[in-house]
Amino acid sequence: MNVLLLMIISLASCEEFEPVFTGKYPAPEEPEIVELTANTTIAELKAMYTSGPETITKNVIIKGQVTTSDKQGNIYKSLYIQDETGGIELKLGKNALYNSYKPGQWVYVDCNGLTVGKYNGMPQLGYKDPTGEYETSYIDAQYIIDTHVFRGPMAEPVKPKVLTEADLKNPDNYGCYVTLKGLSYGNAIFCLFYINPNLGNAAKKDNSNRVFLDKKGGNWGITTWAMSERKFTENMEKGLFDSASAADNSFTVAQLRKDGKITPTANAVSQYFKMGAADVQIRTSGYAKFSDLEIDPEVILGKKTIDVTGILTIFKNDIQFTLIDLDGVKIN
Amino acid sequence: MFKKATLLLIMVLSSFVMLAQNLEGGIEGSVVERSGRTPIAGAKVTLYQSASDEYVDSQICKEDGKFLFKELSNGIYKMVVTATGFTSSEIFVTVEGYVKDMRFVSLISDQKVNEVDDSSFLEFDMDASGFTDSPSILFSSNDIYNEIVGFGFSALRFKNRGYSSESQDVYLSGVKMNDAVTGYSPFSLWSGLNEAMRSKESVMGAEVSDYGIGGYNGLTNFFATPSTIRNGWNFSVLSNSALYRLRLMATYASGESDNGWSYAFNVSARLGGNDWVKGVFYRNFAYYAGIEKKFNDVHRLGLTIFAAPGYRGAQNASTQEVYDLVGSNMYNSNWGYQNGKVRNSRVRKTHEPVMVLKYTATPSTDLEASATLLYRTGKNGYTALDWYDAPDPRPDYYRNLPSYFWNENTDYGRQNMEKYAWATEAWTTNVNNYTHMNWDNMYNINRMNEGKYGLRSKYVVEERRVDQNDVNLNGNVKWRVNNLFTLTGGLDLKWNRTEYYKKLDDLLGGEYYVDIDSFAERDFSATPTMTQNDLDYYMKNGEARLLKKGAKYGYDYYAQIRNASAWFNGNFKVGRFTANLGGEIGYNSFWRDGLVRKGLFPGLDNNGDPIQYQGKVLTTYDEDGKAITSKGKSDKASFLTYSAKLGLQYVFNGGHRIFADVAYLNDAPTFSQSFISPRTRNTMVKNLETVKTMTADVNYQYSNNGYDLRVTGFWTKIKDQTDMMSFYDDSEHSFVNFAMVGIDQRHLGMELGFRTPFFLHGLSLEGALSLGEYVYTSTPRMTMTVDNSADIVRDDEMVPYWASHPVFQKDAKGNYIYAEEAYNEDGTVREGFLPKIDKNQKHYVPSTPQMAANIGFNYKTPSYWFFEINGQFFANSYLDMNPLYRTDNVVAGPDKVTTPVELEYMAAQEKFDPVFLLNASIGKSWMIDYKYNFGFSLNISNLTNNTGVRTGGYEQTRLIKSVSGQRYYRFDPKYFYMCGINYMLNLYFRF
Repeated sequence: MNVLLLMIISLASCEEFEPVFTGKYPAPEEPEIVELTANTTIAELKAMYTSGPETITKNVIIKGQVTTSDKQGNIYKSLYIQDETGGIELKLGKNALYNSYKPGQWVYVDCNGLTVGKYNGMPQLGYKDPTGEYETSYIDAQYIIDTHVFRGPMAEPVKPKVLTEADLKNPDNYGCYVTLKGLSYGNAIFCLFYINPNLGNAAKKDNSNRVFLDKKGGNWGITTWAMSERKFTENMEKGLFDSASAADNSFTVAQLRKDGKITPTANAVSQYFKMGAADVQIRTSGYAKFSDLEIDPEVILGKKTIDVTGILTIFKNDIQFTLIDLDGVKIN
Repeated sequence: MFKKATLLLIMVLSSFVMLAQNLEGGIEGSVVERSGRTPIAGAKVTLYQSASDEYVDSQICKEDGKFLFKELSNGIYKMVVTATGFTSSEIFVTVEGYVKDMRFVSLISDQKVNEVDDSSFLEFDMDASGFTDSPSILFSSNDIYNEIVGFGFSALRFKNRGYSSESQDVYLSGVKMNDAVTGYSPFSLWSGLNEAMRSKESVMGAEVSDYGIGGYNGLTNFFATPSTIRNGWNFSVLSNSALYRLRLMATYASGESDNGWSYAFNVSARLGGNDWVKGVFYRNFAYYAGIEKKFNDVHRLGLTIFAAPGYRGAQNASTQEVYDLVGSNMYNSNWGYQNGKVRNSRVRKTHEPVMVLKYTATPSTDLEASATLLYRTGKNGYTALDWYDAPDPRPDYYRNLPSYFWNENTDYGRQNMEKYAWATEAWTTNVNNYTHMNWDNMYNINRMNEGKYGLRSKYVVEERRVDQNDVNLNGNVKWRVNNLFTLTGGLDLKWNRTEYYKKLDDLLGGEYYVDIDSFAERDFSATPTMTQNDLDYYMKNGEARLLKKGAKYGYDYYAQIRNASAWFNGNFKVGRFTANLGGEIGYNSFWRDGLVRKGLFPGLDNNGDPIQYQGKVLTTYDEDGKAITSKGKSDKASFLTYSAKLGLQYVFNGGHRIFADVAYLNDAPTFSQSFISPRTRNTMVKNLETVKTMTADVNYQYSNNGYDLRVTGFWTKIKDQTDMMSFYDDSEHSFVNFAMVGIDQRHLGMELGFRTPFFLHGLSLEGALSLGEYVYTSTPRMTMTVDNSADIVRDDEMVPYWASHPVFQKDAKGNYIYAEEAYNEDGTVREGFLPKIDKNQKHYVPSTPQMAANIGFNYKTPSYWFFEINGQFFANSYLDMNPLYRTDNVVAGPDKVTTPVELEYMAAQEKFDPVFLLNASIGKSWMIDYKYNFGFSLNISNLTNNTGVRTGGYEQTRLIKSVSGQRYYRFDPKYFYMCGINYMLNLYFRF
């Protein structure tokens, strides 16, 4: 009997019996805070891009504070970090990043092995894209993230820089957390939607499958920040886009709609605003949680202006602006 | 010569000794059938000396079943009683100078099963991986086929005749115990109580039992009464390396005392992990207590209570890519380290006591009647991770795998070789424990997430509860009208209310969680009412309910079930010929009763008015204009069912028997197959039908002089089955409910079992073969609805490639051959044409080998050693199919054009490789002072350490959209594997 007891006791000390006997698990320790020494500023990193995507092959470490959150879904799979010289998009490629990267938190990036590229003029830090479709791809693989991106200490969130109209043209401000004041509604939008979004990549981008709702049609009756699939369906069925045509002018939306050829999907919308004489497109994703919310009618009617806080970006030669959430919109 | 002389000397001496003794002793009695006490004419009673196993005498019983041995010397004798069509029995009798009257020596009909010897290894809890597994077949000590298959095939999850485990009727104390909601067999209720549940009777196939008419996959009744448990103390220690490390068990049964009382208890603990699958553990206990009183010879009253409470860590299936990356098919993605300790996210937690009050009356030897009240209650849950707007925490989530970054087929659009290399390194080196769940990270995210009321958890552990309250009232009668005719019958009533809900099990470092439907929020984030799991609370308080540990949340509803049935069976016996005819009628009804109002489907208020909030009507309606409702009672589904069975048997001289059964059965669909999305609404599957089964079998059995043989041929057709599933459909970009009706299948096959003596006394050769074809035979129809809106996306469409798919003709170069009219003048193929069909590839009933064979040697010595070695071969096992991949829409792809390549790829069913296994056992028992019995048995399974044996798995439902936009690719299927070499050592001590 003693032998049996001994046997049981010796078994009990095995790892496999631990949860069996205790039923309890020790609380994990707080995460390690990494602090690296940056040897490069964000502006210097951006400057490494000359004519095409640049994969960093030397010891380049930047640091920056997180300025964005993907909680509202308008920024997706990415976050922006910013130091005193500038801001840049860090294309991590994961969902719900706001859980791990808090506004104001310091982030260190060991850029060796990562790629600096541009998307229609907007600098980004990501990974090589061997397909060549884009200049960078999402970093995506957790092991790459964990060996290149380090979460540092928390700090006070970055204060937005208030820009003047002239500052809009300064590339140093692209990717930065900024406030633009006194914007008036421009009564125009830009939206591209696909007639059949499920086609293969090539066929999808063919002009016969694309419809541009551009500023020639004013705001096309769209008074929300963007259109979810439901909002798009609703607007389309109201006939708001009927006068538009496929980009090759083959069919009008009215015809396509009648034939049931359009597969609705969520669509990003750029709402035009004026800052002085300059156009600012506030571009919002159709997947943002606030996409279907109406812009204040008084603003639409031009009776009121707004101040917006978010990320200043550039698309080709157009100034664009990305809201992080609707707290970034102040109606005057 | 010398040997002969010695032998002669011994014989002379011993006869001298015998002569010198008092030969007044003797044994008498009569051999009867256990149920009904009918005398068994022609039964053979053989006496042996107990110590030496030496033959003493034998007799054949006459019509009255009586036997008498006289002039026996004092001592202990082994009496072996055999009769054709009955299980043989061994009894030890002590003769002490007078003729001992044994009164009745009862035998059990061969179709039925009785005690299993302790040295066998049978474990009813062979269910390491899933939660619903059960033995392949219930163990039978007298049928050689069942004996081999019952234990020997269970490691491969062999399903006898290809039937689902739900089709096995399992009774306890005469009450049907199959789960009222799902039909699953209920072994987990008493796993670990092997001693208390040892005594049972079974019939196989479509035979009729004394306890119920049964279905097509046998019926087993566990007696579970104290008087049926072996008398005395019994202790055992079992260790094994495939399931749990240690089992400790103690049993005591008093036997029946002179004043008619008997009582018994059985307790056990099963603890620890195993050698093969990490994270799997047992912390299971079991208890049984029973008391019984016999009042004179007529009345008997018994009360029993038992349960098997405990925790058990589960295993998860993964894709082959994952198994290959980590270098082991035993990988389990369910666990991870929490501050260095292994923690499993999927733990089953149960405590479901069963109470049985049983009254039996035997007013005469020809009449026996019983009434049983059985109550099952308690809790049954299993844990899982739940998360809200946070990354998927599963380590083998497809985006974490190398295959997500690169595929050689460019049409997958996965071309990043470098990321592939990074991910491969992460998996193969397990740096940062990437291959396991990261509990620490979940805690840290929760701790950083400052919400409105403190730390709002993003990750929690939920417990999905299925709490049953099940009351059964059952009456049974067996009346031997005369020597020719016996009537059995019964009445069963069932009342079941099962509550389904989620409970917050662990906040993982956070302080609260919120009762919001995160799936609904994806579609309706702008409309807070629609994301509420509890709309009434929201409307009253203006915000979603905050949840603390232990809170109910998510969904909460009752499955209400009421069943009633009556059955009878008449048994006619004329000489050697027996016929039985039985029938049953049943009434089954069930409904859903929602306990919370879900935001997506508010339904109507108590006055029948639509629900409104802030001036907006929230109620939605289905296509028939009926409000879609989550709270309150659903419509009631009710079914009238009827079944009939006929059995014939003829017993020949010399141990030959032929018997045959035919049956037509009609079963109501279960609750779990009948609701589109029971967690969210009251909507039922349309066109629900009863399942109709026709079955027939013919059997030949031979049993004599140590030779046993059974050959069976069977045919079964099952019609109009329903299946209900919910999953994410990439072709619809939403979570959908998929209801499939009209599933037919056909099971055709044979069984062979034999045992034959082999040269040496005590050595026998044993074998079993199961060979069949179990196929789907119909084109089912399906209806698909969006889970969040109840919108019907596909209404009553065919699933054309469910039962089979075409394989097309190809030329020597591998090009498809088309009919002439399909070609254009320039030799190209016209659109819309498919090649010539080579054959229609059948699709098979999955997850069991359709061919299984076993051959082995068994050696028993007179000194109670036994040795066994056997080889097994399994083949023709198939992977469970996902019906989505067999629909036109998915086969054709986004371009809606079906090509032969797509069809042969998407609709095909995977066949597993054949398997050969080798197992060996050894055991011995010692009898000390004719009182203490000590023994051990050691079984080593899978001696060749084959770790590549797939026991089952499933296809995922997700789809990869191709770059070309012309087709879909499948996600890889997930598999379960059998563990490698493993042992089971059992030590027991009884007195």
